[in-house]
Amino acid sequence: MKAIEASSLTKVYSDGTKAVDDISFSVDEGEIFGLLGPNGAGKTTTIKMITTLAKPTAGEIKVFGVDALRSPQEVRQLLGFVPQAISVDGDLTGYENLLIFAKLFFVDHQQRKERIQGALEYFGLADRANDLVKHYSGGMMRRLEIAQALVNRPRLLFLDEPSIGLDPYSRRQVIDQIKELNREFGTTIFVTTHDMSEADELCHRLAIMNLGKFAIVGAPGELKKSVGGDVLTVKVSGSGGAELPTALGSVVSLEDGVLKVLTVDGERAIPRLTDYLEDRGFVVESVSLSRPTLDDVFMKYAKAPLHKDVGFREARSSRRSIARHAR
Amino acid sequence: MNNVERVASSAMTIAEMEARKIRHDSTELWMRCVQPALWLLIFGEVFNAIRGLAPGGYSYMQYIAPGVLAQSVLFVAIFYGITIVWERDVGLLTKMLSTPSPRLSVVVGKALSAGVRGIFQGIMIFALALIIGVNLRFDPLDVLGVFIVVVLFAMCFASLSMTLASFLKTRDRMMGIGQAITIPLFFGSNAIYPVSLMPKWLQVVSAYNPLSYVVDAMRSMLLTGDYSGLPMDMAALLIATVFFIACAALMLKRLIE
Repeated sequence: MKAIEASSLTKVYSDGTKAVDDISFSVDEGEIFGLLGPNGAGKTTTIKMITTLAKPTAGEIKVFGVDALRSPQEVRQLLGFVPQAISVDGDLTGYENLLIFAKLFFVDHQQRKERIQGALEYFGLADRANDLVKHYSGGMMRRLEIAQALVNRPRLLFLDEPSIGLDPYSRRQVIDQIKELNREFGTTIFVTTHDMSEADELCHRLAIMNLGKFAIVGAPGELKKSVGGDVLTVKVSGSGGAELPTALGSVVSLEDGVLKVLTVDGERAIPRLTDYLEDRGFVVESVSLSRPTLDDVFMKYAKAPLHKDVGFREARSSRRSIARHAR
Repeated sequence: MNNVERVASSAMTIAEMEARKIRHDSTELWMRCVQPALWLLIFGEVFNAIRGLAPGGYSYMQYIAPGVLAQSVLFVAIFYGITIVWERDVGLLTKMLSTPSPRLSVVVGKALSAGVRGIFQGIMIFALALIIGVNLRFDPLDVLGVFIVVVLFAMCFASLSMTLASFLKTRDRMMGIGQAITIPLFFGSNAIYPVSLMPKWLQVVSAYNPLSYVVDAMRSMLLTGDYSGLPMDMAALLIATVFFIACAALMLKRLIE
């Protein structure tokens, strides 16, 4: 069974902003699915629609076969959701934060204590359970939030930028715990992030979203391959003129004497490219090779439309959704 | 569990959350006593000198004690819209609404939280009245009745405030509207002077002011013991409360969209 099935999902806000534009996708059970994209791409709106917090303008969503539009309450019973902002209540203790959510999720009275204790221990918060949360560190708060979503034993967990604002150590802890959750309990995880290395490490499959549409969906490895291969950055001086033969690769950019060439086998291409350029009157000062990362994938699929002439309307709409986000 | 039980259970959970917060830090409650104390001690004392301001041969202090209680509960309740906007801003509201608990229960729960705080205001003002020797009827059933009115009234105006928050959406605007609402409500009611002293048009306004019914109900229980107006007062309060809770529950989604 698919954990999420969305078809022709569209959200138009009352001011005419098209935040999500006719997307269809599915997430398998047990998968870690990443949603990447620039600010204002429509990621949060997509999450809100699946978690039944916002009504789609058009389209259908099924969560484990349950229609999210017709039975939102039933769908919410299957979910855990950790929003972007730190959303634990600082004026309550860690234990109380978990207790309140266990009750709001209608966790059975007998199981409540055990699950809360379990969650506290799993996230290493047991010894601070009775301290007010406002005295916790950022990383502890993040872990408490995930713990909060887990007292429900959700089959599908949404994490909206889980590592934002965390120091590297806390970030590592959170990532490891997400992976372990997925491995141990088979929890399906839907995560949005800006951090490409995190997405690369975490996600089985990911989608890059831009201007309300999915630009591409696939496994991180496939996506990296799809950007074409290795990139050579060549610093040249002198003047010359030449078209690069396709056998050597294709020019990505040439700015301020820095030439970027996309090629298949970078290491072998270095001497050939150097020879070629020097033959044509350039002086090659340095060459560096970089293998594709998700950053490049992101740049290609998420940023490309911004380089082309983006219509005023679209630019405005993405600005607006940023503003909405900030508000 | 059916839906009614779910609403009740979740609403109680949210009110419990508020009670626990108060238990951890009750500074705000104590500070909220200052204003009613000043109303009773200064305003009440000064106007006590004017004979005939309070009808029925009561002292002015006796007369305004229920009014001051109603006012202090109003001030607590009217700012619940700010709380909910704040909880929206930090993501707490979003997370509460992503649980299977019905939306209505979040509104009822918040409204009940205002009721919890209202009860503390009641206790404080009763204590104050005892200390400075304001003679009220402290019959247990009457006191219980007053607390029921306090809770309903707090729920009513907390819901009104949350409804407004769904439209205004920022804390600053809510601060402004809170000020703009409370003062006319207070002075356009029978809280600190009898309606008969008002100009005709204000008397008409006062008849539609929920605060007037609240003060009237409290006065009948704490002062006169004349319950003839009570059914009407309670009916008006109940209708207003149900109406505003329904409004807030319907409009709540505007806050997170």
